[in-house]
Amino acid sequence: MSFPDPIAVFRTEAAELLEQVETGLLDLNHDLTDKEQVDAVFRGLHTLKGSGAMFGFEALAAFTHHCETAFDQVRKGIVPATHDLVTAVLSATDHMRALIEVPNGDHDAVSETLLAKLRAAVTAAGGGGAVAAPAAIAASAAPNTPAAPAAPATTTYKMRFSLPANSMANGTNPLGLLDELRDLGECRIKADQSSIPSLDMLMPTDLYLTWDIVLTTEQPRSAIDDVFIFVMDEMQLDLEVVDVPSAPAAAQPAPAAAPATPVATADPPAAPAVSSEHAPAAAKANPVADAKQAKSAENVRVPAERLDELMDRVGELVIAQSRLSQLAGVSGDLQLRAVSEDVERLSGELRDTMMVLRMVPVTHLFGRFRRLVHDLAIETGKSIELITEGETTEVDKSVIERLADPLVHLVRNSCDHGLESAQERVAAGKSETGRIYLTARQQAGEVIITIKDDGRGINRDRVRAKAESSGLITPNANLTDQELLQLIFQPGFSTAQQVTNLSGRGVGMDVVKRTIDALRGTINVVSHNGQGSEISLAIPLTLAIIDGLLVRVGNGRYVIPLSAVEECLELSVDEDMRSRGRSFISLRDSLVPFIRLRELFHTGTAPDPFQKVVVISTGSERVGLVVDQIIGDHQTVIKGMSKLHHDVATFSGATILGDGGVALILDVGHLVAEGQHQEAHLRAAG
Amino acid sequence: MRPTPFCLGVPLPSNTPVSLPLSLPGQLTIRTIAAIQEELLSALAGNGSIILDIPEDAQADLSFVQLIEAARIYAGTAGKQLSLKQPASGQVLEVLDRGGFLQDMAAEDQRFWLHERTVQ
Repeated sequence: MSFPDPIAVFRTEAAELLEQVETGLLDLNHDLTDKEQVDAVFRGLHTLKGSGAMFGFEALAAFTHHCETAFDQVRKGIVPATHDLVTAVLSATDHMRALIEVPNGDHDAVSETLLAKLRAAVTAAGGGGAVAAPAAIAASAAPNTPAAPAAPATTTYKMRFSLPANSMANGTNPLGLLDELRDLGECRIKADQSSIPSLDMLMPTDLYLTWDIVLTTEQPRSAIDDVFIFVMDEMQLDLEVVDVPSAPAAAQPAPAAAPATPVATADPPAAPAVSSEHAPAAAKANPVADAKQAKSAENVRVPAERLDELMDRVGELVIAQSRLSQLAGVSGDLQLRAVSEDVERLSGELRDTMMVLRMVPVTHLFGRFRRLVHDLAIETGKSIELITEGETTEVDKSVIERLADPLVHLVRNSCDHGLESAQERVAAGKSETGRIYLTARQQAGEVIITIKDDGRGINRDRVRAKAESSGLITPNANLTDQELLQLIFQPGFSTAQQVTNLSGRGVGMDVVKRTIDALRGTINVVSHNGQGSEISLAIPLTLAIIDGLLVRVGNGRYVIPLSAVEECLELSVDEDMRSRGRSFISLRDSLVPFIRLRELFHTGTAPDPFQKVVVISTGSERVGLVVDQIIGDHQTVIKGMSKLHHDVATFSGATILGDGGVALILDVGHLVAEGQHQEAHLRAAG
Repeated sequence: MRPTPFCLGVPLPSNTPVSLPLSLPGQLTIRTIAAIQEELLSALAGNGSIILDIPEDAQADLSFVQLIEAARIYAGTAGKQLSLKQPASGQVLEVLDRGGFLQDMAAEDQRFWLHERTVQ
């Protein structure tokens, strides 16, 4: 039996916590009076500190403690939340990531600088020096509720609580909670071990215990809530009042009377000795938490690599099923055919289910750009608003991971080059605040991610001049508008007159192009002078299995992604002869360039008498591919090309066919570009 | 990779009651608990009786007490014996106390953890 490494689990949880803290901070930055966000940030920092200390990340715990202290002051209303404070803690979250990644690194100087900023922000907000004060790392959530003005009454509570199974792994220390309860008054605590499984079934970092507690306290009920403040959302707490509050002024030995009520060990929770007049007080502490807990239990966290493994297996199954179909077709055995059809249906459903499992919403991807834009606004001194749409659009997880870097470059570029300064914008009759729109939507088999700004637009003259001076194009070269705009993705290309921290070094946009090409995606650029630019990335929804059209060219078989196929036509011998040297077909009054794959692949075979043209498109551009035979549709499990073939642009991958043969998958984007180039060349030649 | 080495005693001849001392490391917390579980499982699989030797100055948390309770259940169902070389002391005893294990403790648990000693 193998268990996940607790340190690795902590790192994952910590990354999620930091993401939540960051989201809370960014929301708070919009509305500094949002108490809910203040609490959320405080809770996140507190949990991070506690779990960091538990897993030996002492530097992280010590550093986070100061941020938590600052937010504690905000929470208690001692200092107001300010933009400076939010920014200081945001910077601190980056450092926390570093402290998690390299816990034993030399972080002192950076820590001190960030804490100085934090102290300055707290002081400027009107707070004391609490951030600077050396404080113990241990959580001290002991109730600091003010003493009751009158003589305090004692109440006896009977409670039973349990924490989520992963709470210890998340850094919650149940013993600390029990200690805090003891601090409230006279306390009898009994651990219920009945849920502990046998050693071979035990997840050692999970918590299986429940506690039955009888507490007699002078503190108000809210003091108990304070003890559980950080776990309230997820815990299970049943709490009942079992003894009437009694004033000591009545000279009764109340404290002694309460503990005399023993905990019924045989039947602890079920038989509360509640008198009927106090029955209404006996209620579940937190029904909302129950609902949340039930909801969270519906989700299972699965490591990404296991999904990849499962995907590989499904891919192998699809290939095996393809072989079975072929054998069944040949054999003529009706029973075998029936079984084969069943397997085909089931494997298709399994494939679809698998694809859904791998799909994740782009919310998380978009979420990180809020922080980026926040930082860029500070760095550039511009007022920038990020507007996101379509965050629920789902994309294959591997695509999402690879899209992050290109999007960072594009958003940086929009902020730095696209948007004008506030003065320029006002002079141009625009609002002072520049807007960046980040949207996602699905379209056919693709996800379209668009980065749009309302800035100055791309200066085409400058692009052309720069391209000419760097030898990318010949002087006065005849380029379409799209070709000209696409030059910004050439390596080493930058029109920025000033190199800034953000962009202008000519590094980045070519990386965008390379990454999108590798994802079999396309980039489309639209720009209007003075109105802004829009860059759309069209990416296939998945990189694992696609529906393909299997064709034969010479003796080889090839797969064309079905999502790109518009129609199939027959190329008669006459038409073939007529089109020689031109390579155009007339399709509903428009000329479509075509490529003879037989010639492109140098098959050395004679053309079939009835060749077919498969018309493929990417957006508005079309090209025909002349093949010898269309075999039919094919569920294509994409296998990567070997390192030796990584620079072969015509193919995006390979697949294994039912008979064990290999078919290469055509790179549609590349072929369309090739066709368009051919068309432009022929048109230019007259 | 085994993160923490353990000192298993030398196996006794098969015709004598097998009672192996298993020296536990000084770190008995959630950080090392998975490794301790594996060691305990393999020790119990090969022997009829295990005597756990917990260092007096061991660092312990709730996960350790929970693990030992799970090991007692495992040993009970597998017809094996598990015991402590010395009664719980130091941080282990502290965890038992703070965690509410000592409250109304069953006689059998007292024998196991405290060697029938009464804790004040």
